[in-house]
Amino acid sequence: MSETSTSQDLSFFYRFLARCMQYPDPQWMNEDFFQAFFNLVDTLGATSEGQEIQNILTQSPDPIEALQIEYTRLFINGAPHVVAPPYASVYMDKSLQGAFALKTLSFYRAKGFVMEKDADLPDHLIHELEFLSLLVQENDLAGEEEFLTTLFRPWYKQFCPRVGKETRHPYYRMVVNLIDFFTTEEKKDGFQCNEA
Amino acid sequence: MAFNVTRRKFLQTASLAAVSIPLSKVVCAETGVTKASLEPKGTMNDTTVVGGLCEMCFWRCQMVGKVRDGQLIKLEGNPKSIDNGTSICARGNAGIKLLYDVDRLKYPLKNVGKRGEPVWKRISWQEALDECGSKLKAVVDQHGPQGICVFPHGASAKYPMHYFERTVGTHNVSEASFFQCRGVRDTAYMASINEAPEEYVDMANAKVIFLVGCHFGENIHVSHTKNYIKGLQNGAKLIVADPRYSASAAKSDIWVQIKPGTDTAYLLAIMNYLVQNKKYNQEFVTNHTAGFDKFSQSIAEWTLDKAAKECEIPAAQIKEVADLLAANAPNVTIHPGRFSSWYGNDFQRGRALACLTALLGAYYVKGGWLPPKKPKLSKTSWAAEEHGNEHNLNYHNNKMHHPYAPPGTPTELIRDCAISGKPYPIKGCVVWGQNPMQTIPNQEKMKQVFKAMDFVMCVDVMPTDVTMWADILLPESSYLERYDEIKVGATYVKADDKEPTQYIAPRYPMVEPQFERKDQVYITNEIAKRMGHEKDIPVQSLEELVNKTLEASKTTLASIKAEGGIHLQPGKPAGAVPEDFMVQLFSDEIADAGFPGAPTYIPVENVPAGHARLLFGRAPVHSFSRTQNNIWLHHAMPVNPVWLNDTVAAKLGLKEGDSVGFINSEGVKSRTTTIVKVTPGIRKDCVYMYHGYGMVNPMLSICGGKGVDEQSLITKIAIDPESGVHGMRNNFVKLTKDGKTLDMPA
Ligand code: SF4
Repeated sequence: MSETSTSQDLSFFYRFLARCMQYPDPQWMNEDFFQAFFNLVDTLGATSEGQEIQNILTQSPDPIEALQIEYTRLFINGAPHVVAPPYASVYMDKSLQGAFALKTLSFYRAKGFVMEKDADLPDHLIHELEFLSLLVQENDLAGEEEFLTTLFRPWYKQFCPRVGKETRHPYYRMVVNLIDFFTTEEKKDGFQCNEA
Repeated sequence: MAFNVTRRKFLQTASLAAVSIPLSKVVCAETGVTKASLEPKGTMNDTTVVGGLCEMCFWRCQMVGKVRDGQLIKLEGNPKSIDNGTSICARGNAGIKLLYDVDRLKYPLKNVGKRGEPVWKRISWQEALDECGSKLKAVVDQHGPQGICVFPHGASAKYPMHYFERTVGTHNVSEASFFQCRGVRDTAYMASINEAPEEYVDMANAKVIFLVGCHFGENIHVSHTKNYIKGLQNGAKLIVADPRYSASAAKSDIWVQIKPGTDTAYLLAIMNYLVQNKKYNQEFVTNHTAGFDKFSQSIAEWTLDKAAKECEIPAAQIKEVADLLAANAPNVTIHPGRFSSWYGNDFQRGRALACLTALLGAYYVKGGWLPPKKPKLSKTSWAAEEHGNEHNLNYHNNKMHHPYAPPGTPTELIRDCAISGKPYPIKGCVVWGQNPMQTIPNQEKMKQVFKAMDFVMCVDVMPTDVTMWADILLPESSYLERYDEIKVGATYVKADDKEPTQYIAPRYPMVEPQFERKDQVYITNEIAKRMGHEKDIPVQSLEELVNKTLEASKTTLASIKAEGGIHLQPGKPAGAVPEDFMVQLFSDEIADAGFPGAPTYIPVENVPAGHARLLFGRAPVHSFSRTQNNIWLHHAMPVNPVWLNDTVAAKLGLKEGDSVGFINSEGVKSRTTTIVKVTPGIRKDCVYMYHGYGMVNPMLSICGGKGVDEQSLITKIAIDPESGVHGMRNNFVKLTKDGKTLDMPA
């Protein structure tokens, strides 16, 4: 398999993970989405965890609303308090839009990318995944690695276990683990989201 | 969770496309990160934005902002300002941390759990507005406009407040700034001098500054504090009446360690002494006051000795203060104060301050009360409509309950009506920028109000203790992200100033609002459309509102921006006392309304055995709930220590830094604990805390549960009879330590 087509595939994975992190909406969170999602989960050998998610979704009277409530609690405003804001700066600067967000934006710029006007903050998990997708699409694997090491992993390795531990819905546990899987080169920082 | 393959191996599998292609079909077509077209790599885009108007407190200092890549990185005083100049205070600086507070509200939220125990779900603006519009309309359809009550606060709340008051037609509006703060001061002065006094005192040129309870230095408003410091630098003598050795007391020439609640008795004794000894300004009294004889008779009982006993201060010190004021009159500042919801006898204290100023002839003089001549603005808002008094709770049963109430309806009348359903049901509640759980005494009663509602909506920048009671919670753009109100003023001119200057400073956004935060004009208009008032909408945007308001000044947002965010123009000297200016020393009108015509001392409840009176005030780094979760300000003062007299502390076996809780005389316990500050600088019969700590909303990740919320201990409600304003310092507490309740020594 050529490097280019692998990059293309990886680019899709990043884009898909970005999709998984969007606020749940039946417009896109539909049968096709879940089919693709569970197909990926199965391929990675996490069939029983996938089954657990399916069970919870089918048992719920309104599965999308249940995901919306959990998304709000985890990532927007919740009670007790928002569990895991999906912004790098929150973990690196203890603030929204701190110096780390600016560094992230500078990296995008240096690679020739900008933020769209209606976008969220540059260090939002979704945009970082989109950026990774665009980088690998351009086959800039060195850039991908540099971004992952210097700007992504340092905060993501704090974010991921927080969600894994606190979430009340297995879908989000799976999503953060999938992101962890695709952004970790084995034996690089030796980090596993759920070491057990 | 273990996947049975490594990333590298997975990406090398031949069948990768079988997984990735289905994924590619469900991804989002758009991305927030896109390839740049022309922008040179590495550009930082630094700019200075003019036209900021601070709202970390109500003073509205003028600012500029340093913006890098759309991100506000620093705030400074606007060099063009003739008000605060280049200075802003700690809270002003920390506005950035409010702007980027992680806990800030970002999207409309719907509570799909119970009211007060929310389970939040993000919803679209469309859904949120539809729900607010339809639920509020249903209340009006079923119960009439009076079925809605409104708790507004701050610049952004004015436009929606006018909508609900003027267009929808409810009287049931309770502004915290009036009914739990300065309203009683304003109406006491209105009844005395026909104007609200604001803080128009020329302290910079005063020979004596007399503060009753004001604690400048802890309570900071930049230009006012500068004015005060300038006065002290110029040699003004400072008299401070306060049970506590406050930051102002620490700078004073005379500290009057007065018994709480007795200030009016003290002021009456000073006035009686001036009258009896003919040390008052006879010319001013003859030309500009009414009712001197009745007034003199009414206060005659207040000898120095009688007041000394009541106020627990030396008679000689009262005389010393009176003599010092008389010797330096008329250039003396009798500060009218601001927060004045103290004991439920506050209208009379306000009257006494206004009358003392008159006896000293200290109106419209250098160093005295001297209103600046400000530029005129147009008035733009929802058109005022007459709604009669049939459903005005303050006029119920053809009786005016509180004739000297500030605008709106006294809070307690609204709460009682909402809870009892009498004389009519109140079923919809709009909370806009106010946190009634922490501004209004008796939190349990406030909860009952919310429980009685069919619908509650809150609009705020931050989650607070009240937002937990919302059915729909809407995120507002902050004062750094919107156009808004206009500050006008003039240099503190004296009659002999050659070149007074006026300024006009509208608020401009420093940065764009993030997430889905919206401003008050958008939100109100959208709700108005859904309630059937589209034709009444006065403006389509905040920008239009500000431009229309500027019309009378012949300026525009664009023209002022080009001038650096502040328009300066020649002013007018403040001038001498207007001929028709009259001070009602004895007011027949007040007497006809059934209240004392001359300022009168009404004693408050004494401290019960084993307790201390709970006093509270401002911290220099906090103003409102919205400053509590600010990480810079939180670090500057993370908890609110309780001030405890050193002798009392020794008897209780408490030392500096000990952790204590509270129980009040009605059995209400504090939810949290704080630390003890042991000091000789407070009377033995009271304890003191800074206001605004110990919020419970767990959505606040920084300040939640830190320090003690003194409001939770204010359960006994005192109502000032003339104004209907709350008195909040009539609650008594014991300290608790390690589960034990400590009786305060006599
Ligand atoms: S006094 Fe401080 S908080 Fe108040 S407006 Fe001025 S800078 Fe802002």
